[in-house]
Amino acid sequence: MKLSLETIGLTKKFGKFTALDGVSLKVAEGEVFGYIGPNGAGKTTTIRALLGILRATSGEAKVFGKDAWRDAVEIHKRVAYVPGDVNLWANLTGGEVIDFFVGLRGKRDAPRRDGLLKAFDLDPSKKCKTYSKGNRQKVALIAAFASDADLFILDEPTSGLDPLMEQVFQELVLEQKSKGKGVFLSSHILSEVERLCDRVGIIKGGRLVETGTLAELRHLTETRMTVKTEKAAENLSEIKGVRGVVRKDGGEITFQVDSSEIGDVVSYLAKYGITKLESAPPTLEALFMRHYGETGEEGRR
Amino acid sequence: MSGNFGNTVRLVRFILRRERFISPVWIASVAFFSAALAPGIEVMFPDAESKARLLAGYENPVMTAMMGPLYGAGESTGAMYAGFMLLWTIVAAAVMNIFFIARHTRADEERGRAEVVRSLPAGRLANVNAAVLSAVIINAALAAVTGLGVFATQTESMDFTGCMLYGAVLGASGLVFAGVAAVFCQLSGSAGGAAGLSFFTLGAFYLLRAAGDLNAEILSLISPLGLAQRSRVFTGDDALPAVILLVEAAALFLLSFKLNCARDLGRGFIPERPGRSEAGKTLSSPLGLPFRLLRKTAAVWLAVMFSLGASYGLVISDIGKFVENSPEYLALIGVPAEYAKTLSGAEKTEMLTEYFVAFINAMMALIALIPLLAAAMKPRAEEKAGRAEHVLARPVSRTKYLCGFITAAFVLSWLLQCASALGLYCAAKAAPGAFALSLGELAAANLVYLPAVWAVIGAAVFLTGLLPKAAGAIWGYYGFICFMGLMGGLNLFPDRLEKLNPMTFVPKLPLEEAKAAPLAVTAAVALALFAVGLISYARRDISA
Repeated sequence: MKLSLETIGLTKKFGKFTALDGVSLKVAEGEVFGYIGPNGAGKTTTIRALLGILRATSGEAKVFGKDAWRDAVEIHKRVAYVPGDVNLWANLTGGEVIDFFVGLRGKRDAPRRDGLLKAFDLDPSKKCKTYSKGNRQKVALIAAFASDADLFILDEPTSGLDPLMEQVFQELVLEQKSKGKGVFLSSHILSEVERLCDRVGIIKGGRLVETGTLAELRHLTETRMTVKTEKAAENLSEIKGVRGVVRKDGGEITFQVDSSEIGDVVSYLAKYGITKLESAPPTLEALFMRHYGETGEEGRR
Repeated sequence: MSGNFGNTVRLVRFILRRERFISPVWIASVAFFSAALAPGIEVMFPDAESKARLLAGYENPVMTAMMGPLYGAGESTGAMYAGFMLLWTIVAAAVMNIFFIARHTRADEERGRAEVVRSLPAGRLANVNAAVLSAVIINAALAAVTGLGVFATQTESMDFTGCMLYGAVLGASGLVFAGVAAVFCQLSGSAGGAAGLSFFTLGAFYLLRAAGDLNAEILSLISPLGLAQRSRVFTGDDALPAVILLVEAAALFLLSFKLNCARDLGRGFIPERPGRSEAGKTLSSPLGLPFRLLRKTAAVWLAVMFSLGASYGLVISDIGKFVENSPEYLALIGVPAEYAKTLSGAEKTEMLTEYFVAFINAMMALIALIPLLAAAMKPRAEEKAGRAEHVLARPVSRTKYLCGFITAAFVLSWLLQCASALGLYCAAKAAPGAFALSLGELAAANLVYLPAVWAVIGAAVFLTGLLPKAAGAIWGYYGFICFMGLMGGLNLFPDRLEKLNPMTFVPKLPLEEAKAAPLAVTAAVALALFAVGLISYARRDISA
């Protein structure tokens, strides 16, 4: 597997504050990687270290096998970046900024630029100071997608876009993916992550707490089950992975179970004669909330 | 009323809290300079004879045009102090007020802070009103601190009433410019535009006053700068101009309230024109960005330096009669007293012209440093605004990025120096009277300051690279250089302190020979500062 980017024990300290604490992650070429975590978890710091804008305190950050700090300029020839908070030059127009950005990497591709302007419905003749947050975001997105990059590093790129524009953005990412280009996408938007990402990494308090495909991560969460048995399954709450057992009138039991333990629980229940069995798969939302919320994590570990 | 002004008091407290650093520094600086120069004037003009000679200098209309009228006919130190200082202190107070109002009205609106406040139970006018009331408080503090500071020097003929009136006129004039800025902040669509128009107005008032002082008193009364000088501080002590200034300020504030009510938040009355939808040639390389960003400022400052040079050029042919009998002026422009006595006639005029050229070149180099330092500090401003990372996340090295701004400052330094030399030359040739120096000689005397200018720019780059958080200290260093430039000739300070000022080492052309050694050393220091700045910039974090 060829890697588009890799961090090994990446640590970044600002004075006494540890923003990143030994983050190790690998993203394969052509993969769309979702980078998720609550505000202040270290997503932007990771991205800025990968771009060579911040220097790692210890550990390594590599893009295309090259050192993110030392070979920044070489790497940037193949990278397109959209920051989360797009601040532009008040007295330049959007069109000027897009052309300037694209021109820094290489040749301008006028038809592609005009197509993107149309898709995003942006007026390039307006001064940047008159743009709303969403329109500034569009300028950065158009500049990124108008350039012929191999890796797109996007830091919450759709936080100011309307749903229609969000759709345009998702199609552009899928188009790049189909061309075999890699995308490193930091995002809070569940539907976006679910639709676009092959794999997901979850960061919290500067540590990478989970990585894997969405299917793998779902596996780690709880499934909610409702069962009815002929005989009362009295020791259910003592079975490994089972929590929150509630017995209702009429013999129905509801509980949550670790997705990895479902098999054992079902075979245990089978001994009591199952008459009804319903299971609700874990939602992505539950997965996110578990990692975003403090209590969720304590509950698990 | 409460509907429009609700919660103003809270907002005033909030503004003062945000201002807890900047405004006290401004007030302290203005008060310090005002107080420090009061005894200075006494030292320069100790007796009636020296004062009378100074007065003779005022017979030249150009002097009146530049400085305004000198009331009290040079009879007391207080009279001279008011004649020399009031106008320039007011200009400083005007700059402070324009920035203050722009910061707390338009800039807040631009950054979306004003609408957060507006969405709270605060009145429609609470933002503007709070900024205005805060300006009143800050100008009152400026008036009190400056008045008391000057009084504390216990200088002859400067009594308590006079000192407090001096402060009051200063504060009242400051408020007028706060009013001017408040109006332009409603008219223009951006804080930068509003500040620009306000500075333009300040310049226009200065010229109006100059014209008025020469031959039409009424024009001087229209200009707040001229009106302020007519309070005859330390000679007649007339409080009426200060009262009129306060009324003018109040009228401007009311106008700004009216305009504020008539417009939408975030909009101005001067419409924003659409620009080109594709980048031109300038923006086709990373080097182009600094040039594009500094284009407008550069154009304005080139015009300023040219007119400054020209205004000195108009006086220069008269300079002989103007200063030859005044040891004080001779001392001011650096002519040794014994040397002056050994010459006479045309030779003396020529010598004095040369001294004057050397003196004003030093002044103009200091003024040209303002836009140059702003250009050198631009990368840090870009970094803080999160715009540097757009460029640095693309295949542009840190060194190349920073070099772009250094190059822009370097080119601008040549242009500014040439502009002032050219202005001086053209005006001197156009004015009646002989002027012996050639354009080449003038240019050389002017360009000889470049290595020292680069060293100061180098200091800014050095700080940007090595101590980005403290890079603003460059303006403190600039203040130090100006102070040494004004007071350094008096030999009041230890040598070691003088050596921290690169201007000290500049050969005073056309008086002295152009010595290569000090120029080369200064240029080498500049180069070393650039190098250290560039290397450390490439090795540090870019912070948002």
